[in-house]
Amino acid sequence: MQPQAMVEPVIAARAVAKGYGAAPVLRDVSVDVPPGITGLLGANGSGKTTLIGLLLGLHRVDAGSLSVFGMDPGHRGAEVRARIGYAPEHHRLPPDIQALDLVRHLAEIHGLPPREAMSRASDALWQCGLGEERLRPVGTMSTGQRQRVKLAAAIAHDPRLLLLDEPTDGLDPPQRDAMLALIRRIGHDFGIDVVLSSHLLDEVERTCDNVMILADGRIIAAGPLAELRRGASGVVVELEHGVEAVAASLREAGWTVRIEGLRVDVAADPAHEAAAFDAVRDAVARCAVPVRRLHPRRASLEEVFLGATA
Amino acid sequence: MSTAGPPPPPAGSDPGAARIIDQGYRRYDGERRGIGGAVRAVHKAAVQRALGLKRSARFKVVPLATAVLSFLPAIVFVGAAALLPEEFRDELPFGYADYYGYITAAIVLFVSFVTPEILCTDRRTGMLGLYLAGPIDRLRYLLAKAAAVGTVLATVTLGPTLLLLIGFTLADNGPDGVGGTLGTLARIVGAAAVVNVWYTTLSMAVSSLTDRRAFASAGIILTVLVSSAVVNALVENGLSSNLLLLDLFGLPFELVRRIYGEQGGDTIGELSTAPMAVAAVALVALFVGVLAVRYRRLEVTK
Repeated sequence: MQPQAMVEPVIAARAVAKGYGAAPVLRDVSVDVPPGITGLLGANGSGKTTLIGLLLGLHRVDAGSLSVFGMDPGHRGAEVRARIGYAPEHHRLPPDIQALDLVRHLAEIHGLPPREAMSRASDALWQCGLGEERLRPVGTMSTGQRQRVKLAAAIAHDPRLLLLDEPTDGLDPPQRDAMLALIRRIGHDFGIDVVLSSHLLDEVERTCDNVMILADGRIIAAGPLAELRRGASGVVVELEHGVEAVAASLREAGWTVRIEGLRVDVAADPAHEAAAFDAVRDAVARCAVPVRRLHPRRASLEEVFLGATA
Repeated sequence: MSTAGPPPPPAGSDPGAARIIDQGYRRYDGERRGIGGAVRAVHKAAVQRALGLKRSARFKVVPLATAVLSFLPAIVFVGAAALLPEEFRDELPFGYADYYGYITAAIVLFVSFVTPEILCTDRRTGMLGLYLAGPIDRLRYLLAKAAAVGTVLATVTLGPTLLLLIGFTLADNGPDGVGGTLGTLARIVGAAAVVNVWYTTLSMAVSSLTDRRAFASAGIILTVLVSSAVVNALVENGLSSNLLLLDLFGLPFELVRRIYGEQGGDTIGELSTAPMAVAAVALVALFVGVLAVRYRRLEVTK
């Protein structure tokens, strides 16, 4: 990914606040969302859906400023929404309408002429793996197929930005994998920027280039996923056996060590990461144990999330 | 629009042989019709849905049956005017002003079916959120829906009286001269507009209060009939006849009579036109207000 300073953000929020009545939902939200696939991560009730509503211009911010493609969605909502594809969280869709008719109609709502809308609706359903099912009424479709219909409807009008609210909700593991692969394809091959709202850490970790974490209405961490995970530095070595001996040798040398199965996790700040590698090399040689893998220690998104919310 | 065309066949291959071509994703940089296009698309889809077009036969029964009920008297009257000897025609008991009296049940039934179908379905199926995630906003969405209700309702409020005018004119029993014909046409359109605006706003206000079509249909019928029964009972028991200005069933049809320069023979016919018109405007504003408040508060991204 290019350095963020060089890239015009797709979404820019500055001290955004939004509440309903006396209850604040978003507080002092400031974030730049670069192009690519961005995960909007947060527990249920953290303000993700409210933020999506603000991005769509369906509500106005109470304070601060928000821009999408450089436009204020509160004042230029129609222009912003015309360039956004949105797939809501719910699975309710008109049951008696064919998938093709539904996707075509929503493409027309986004301004496409009828002929183009029909052609692109058919293409979008094929791209989402529903080409053979496109003439089926939506009410006869499974949850996984409905999720794909929503995704097809969101991309049929060729949006610049896709907002996906819990797109894997209700899917079984294989369907979930397929959906995440499709989202990656949309973000990387189709060239559409994606904001993926989810409360599932692993699916954001697997799919997204960037992350913003919402907790209690505030952005508590945001940035490229690789940078956020770099927060935990050190070395991880995975051994065939002799884990205890290697760990003891490292402790003796003064390193902080944690054992996880056949892995030895050595904590070190970035300035001492090279020295940690040397120490692991020496300990492994001393104990004469075979090494399976050796790599820098990177925090999982779960660790990032827990660290940020602590 | 950029379209990826099929690649040329490899040299030496059979040009007629079938090949699978992955077109990939196509970008679109062609015409976008903006808010106007979105409003037209919502209107067209709503009209089609209400009339049961592109849907199974059972969805066509109610609109078709009520349309037949509303046109039947007009067909009978035109037939009678065409077939009866001229000396009997003036004795026939029909006119434009009274026509709605024959089809009030059909109108109320029609609107109680059409409006919930057009309005409640979008909320219940989540389509409202998908619509409002496009260029259209809440106000224009409601205007498109109101236009759709009005368009469909016009088939029973405007169609039969227009048929009467055309039929009577062809049967040589129509208004006198071009001026008379145009005057009658203007009254027909004005009367239909009054009934349309009244029932469109009333039925949309009631339908905005529930997501369930059956409840909305029952609510529309009950609102109209119960208000009429209550105010008429109160007036019969000695209260002011001005209470009839709140007769949601009788008021629009009495206004229709006034448009044709006539008055009803019952108690509401004794009221003067000005307060009746003011009451009608105020009640329509109330219906619009209920609708606006309800939709302004709706959360659509859940």
